[in-house]
Amino acid sequence: MSAVIARRSFLKGSAIAVAGASLALERAPAWAQKRELTMLSFNHFVPASDDELRRQADVFSKQAGVTVRVDTIAGPQMFAKRAAEVSSQSGHDVIVTGAADPFLYEQQLVDMGDLVDHLGGRYGGWYPFAKETCHTASGWRAVPWFWVAFVGSYNEVQFKKAGVQAPKTWDDLLKAGKVLKKQGNPVGIPISQCTDANITFWSVLWCAGGKVLEPDGKTPAINSDKAAGVVEWYKELYKDAMEPEVLSWDNASNNRFLLSGKGSWIHNPISPYVAAVEKKMPIADEINHHNSPGGPGGIHSATGVNSLGIWKFSKNIPLAKDFIKFLFEKENYNAFIKGGSAFNQPPLRGFAEHPIWASHPKYAMLPKEAEYVHEQGWPAKPNAAVQLIVVNFVLPNMVAKAIAGMPTKRALAWGEDQIRLALQGKLETKGK
Amino acid sequence: MIVGVRSRGQRIRSSVFGWMNVLPYVFFALFPFYYMIITSLKKDTELYNLKAAPFLIQTGVITDHYWYLFFKTEFLTWMKNSLIISVTATAISLVISILAGYSLARLRFPGVSSFGTAVFITYLVPPTLLFLPLSQVVVWLGISDTIWALIVTYPTFLVPFSTWLLMGYFRTIPKEVEECALVDGASRMQTLTRIVLPMAIPGIVCVILFGFTLTWNEFTYALTFVSQSANKTAVVGVTADLIRGDIYYWGSLMAGAVVASLPIVVIYVWFLDYYVSGLTAGAVKG
Amino acid sequence: MAVGTRVLETVGRARPGRLARAREWWEQEHVFGYSLIVPALALIAGLVAYPFAMAIYFSLSDYWVGSPGSFVGLQNFRDILGNEIFRQTVSNSFVFTIIAVILKAVLGIWLAMLLFRPLRFKRLIRGAVLLPWVIPTALSVLAWRWMFDSLYSVVNWTGIRLGLMNPPGPNWLGMADYAMSAVIAVNVWRGLPFFAIIVLAGLVSIPREYYEAAEVDGASSWGRFRHVTLPLLKPVLAVVILFSTIFTFSDFNIVQVLTAGGPVNTTHLFATFAYQMGLTGGNLGQGAAVSLFLFPLLAAIVFIQLRYIRKE
Repeated sequence: MSAVIARRSFLKGSAIAVAGASLALERAPAWAQKRELTMLSFNHFVPASDDELRRQADVFSKQAGVTVRVDTIAGPQMFAKRAAEVSSQSGHDVIVTGAADPFLYEQQLVDMGDLVDHLGGRYGGWYPFAKETCHTASGWRAVPWFWVAFVGSYNEVQFKKAGVQAPKTWDDLLKAGKVLKKQGNPVGIPISQCTDANITFWSVLWCAGGKVLEPDGKTPAINSDKAAGVVEWYKELYKDAMEPEVLSWDNASNNRFLLSGKGSWIHNPISPYVAAVEKKMPIADEINHHNSPGGPGGIHSATGVNSLGIWKFSKNIPLAKDFIKFLFEKENYNAFIKGGSAFNQPPLRGFAEHPIWASHPKYAMLPKEAEYVHEQGWPAKPNAAVQLIVVNFVLPNMVAKAIAGMPTKRALAWGEDQIRLALQGKLETKGK
Repeated sequence: MIVGVRSRGQRIRSSVFGWMNVLPYVFFALFPFYYMIITSLKKDTELYNLKAAPFLIQTGVITDHYWYLFFKTEFLTWMKNSLIISVTATAISLVISILAGYSLARLRFPGVSSFGTAVFITYLVPPTLLFLPLSQVVVWLGISDTIWALIVTYPTFLVPFSTWLLMGYFRTIPKEVEECALVDGASRMQTLTRIVLPMAIPGIVCVILFGFTLTWNEFTYALTFVSQSANKTAVVGVTADLIRGDIYYWGSLMAGAVVASLPIVVIYVWFLDYYVSGLTAGAVKG
Repeated sequence: MAVGTRVLETVGRARPGRLARAREWWEQEHVFGYSLIVPALALIAGLVAYPFAMAIYFSLSDYWVGSPGSFVGLQNFRDILGNEIFRQTVSNSFVFTIIAVILKAVLGIWLAMLLFRPLRFKRLIRGAVLLPWVIPTALSVLAWRWMFDSLYSVVNWTGIRLGLMNPPGPNWLGMADYAMSAVIAVNVWRGLPFFAIIVLAGLVSIPREYYEAAEVDGASSWGRFRHVTLPLLKPVLAVVILFSTIFTFSDFNIVQVLTAGGPVNTTHLFATFAYQMGLTGGNLGQGAAVSLFLFPLLAAIVFIQLRYIRKE
């Protein structure tokens, strides 16, 4: 009997709990009485950069009398998230885009031409790569936000010991690397299925005067003597200046390689140095940076440009544009550069004079990189085919095949074949 | 154990044999976990020291990584979300699959076997790209970006699996027991809840165990249907906040893995006792 | 007691009323049977049917992430068949699934039999054995990634110290065969508890008398296993192997975190390649075609196996 009562009161209790929970859930939309603007970004390498972004969002919230929410997720997860938001036509208002996104989502993103003109006029104009990455056949589909330079990160002490200089060209790197490997400090460029492997390959290829696609974005151009030279260069570098571990690397491996004190040189953003300083690792003192190497074709370096887009399904388009404008205000953007420990490089010339670069000798070379960089795909636009070439790791895999013994000519033919496959999709979008 | 009378020597030999065989498994199963714990308690400088022995802590145990996990991320909120989602989704799926499993295993009506196959085939649908159209459904239901989005969608992959597992258990219960109850005037529902369910407890425990694990681990839906940090699950939250581009917070990541799994293992072991003893108690034919 | 209920029931039934008639209707076997599966069918119809239909439609159209496409028939399937990476993926998937499932089945039965024996610290051992299944995969695979790291691999460190490997040791994630072995090892590590626990349940339910009889007949332990355990475990094994094969075939996390399909696509599985093609690459049509490619075959196998299980 008492058990029955106990059970009953328990049931009653849980019924109340359930009711309470559903009340609480129902209240959630009620908070949103204030207009809410949402933004989706990826987690910044430097947490303080996200903190600064959120601080600015709060300031904007107060000024505009709205609520701005900034959500962050891991970078590689952005692909799934963008696709899901488009598929369900709901989600955030502002979204960080990169690489081919302005092209892939051309029909889903709002035209940003007015904002781009306004910002360009106000802050000294855009670098050339801005237009290369965000301007589609139907106009600007995103506003370039910040980009991250891939530079040479090297161990000065080991270079001095080996009696070699920081490389100015990729051939210099090969020569220096041979000496360094003998000393027990090989260099490292990933030849594997990771983004860094892609980025470096494009850079080396461009510097040699080669290209993957013709500027029309439809004609394969990889099967050339220049590309063959690059593959040969990779083979020699792999044999005489690197170790087989580069075949297994992910994006974080080269950071560890340099920070462990074993590796002497990597092609990477400045993240190893920033992490070493933050974790107070003694090796930080030995690391320095130099500009991305060049070659007979000039100095070119691939990068990822992060841009800001607004979904067409957003109900707050003008407000979202105001928010982006706010993020670019001199005071805010400078604070953003500082929050990102010099990581966040501006696409606008007007911000190049930031004290963080001038004051820190190891960062002094960074602003210059802006003259060298292109989005992957250049001289073609980063269209859907480029995206497939990149995510299927066609280029590093082509090199890996040559290293595994496939004749260079055949490896290039394999690459060309894969590029043709990537091109068979529908490439011309109607715009609008 | 197999036959009552055995000499002491035989017993010792058998026990040594058992241990010799079990130990490699235990080692295989535990080593990665041990390694996670070690990594979560190590200084970063030691972790990145090529000369240090990787499976020892030589420069002192630190709790900084746990501190970072608990106070610099919203880990506790994520754990709470994960717990609510997993418990609720498993419970809902359990009820649905008990009903369906019982019906498909025990009752005779036209089309029963094709329904059974249909439920199973659902399980085969490749989940990789399913989340895209499912995200539309979630928006139609008006539950996107809440934990309800996950509570509602998780049963889609739990129910087929649980139903089939339970069907097997229901089949092993002797039919006569049910018939007796029906003859005694119990309704069909009463027969199910009072007679059949208690006898199927091992199966139910099994479903809870596996259902809970699958929801606890689920990644893609948790990532795409929820974006506010306050509504994230543990797995998504931890990997999102502690992997930043090419920088991994190894210590805190491993701390997260340890904290997200230890309490569950304890509960599981307790459940498992119940499960194995429930099975031994009989009522199950070979 | 039983009589009491029965009397009440008859009284209830004697009273002619809508309620009673509804109850009688509900008590019919087929009505009851159908109504119990309604929630499950509603769930499937509401949440699985539409997405599944859409996925099929994706695979038959030139759908990209940002732009809806038009119907193209089987073009996507022709395209992926012409792609060397896809053909590689197919063979990887079979190698991976067959080896991993065999290992899990053999080791799982063996482990279940060990766990079945009386051992001290039974709970601890069971907990230890279950652990890999419980740790969230996305995190546990990271730990494995770290264990196979090219610089800090604890496996190689130990192997070299014990003189089993020549420095620097195997390039686990950089060489095709090693990478496949690594991926399979992690899959077995994670999937073994699932196997062992379900088989354990089967073992527990085998009546002792069978073993006693076999022992009296003088059967060796292998003979007992071969003639008593294995035949009686068959129904359980059939189900668990079926489930495990499906689980293994659709594995995503392990490969995605450990190798991202590398080196040179030698560990790509259907799920990872579909994701790479459809989501990161944006070609939803081909991605869906990759993921659905084996669906008809799997469905046929399952259909046959289910009939077999039912007959047993």
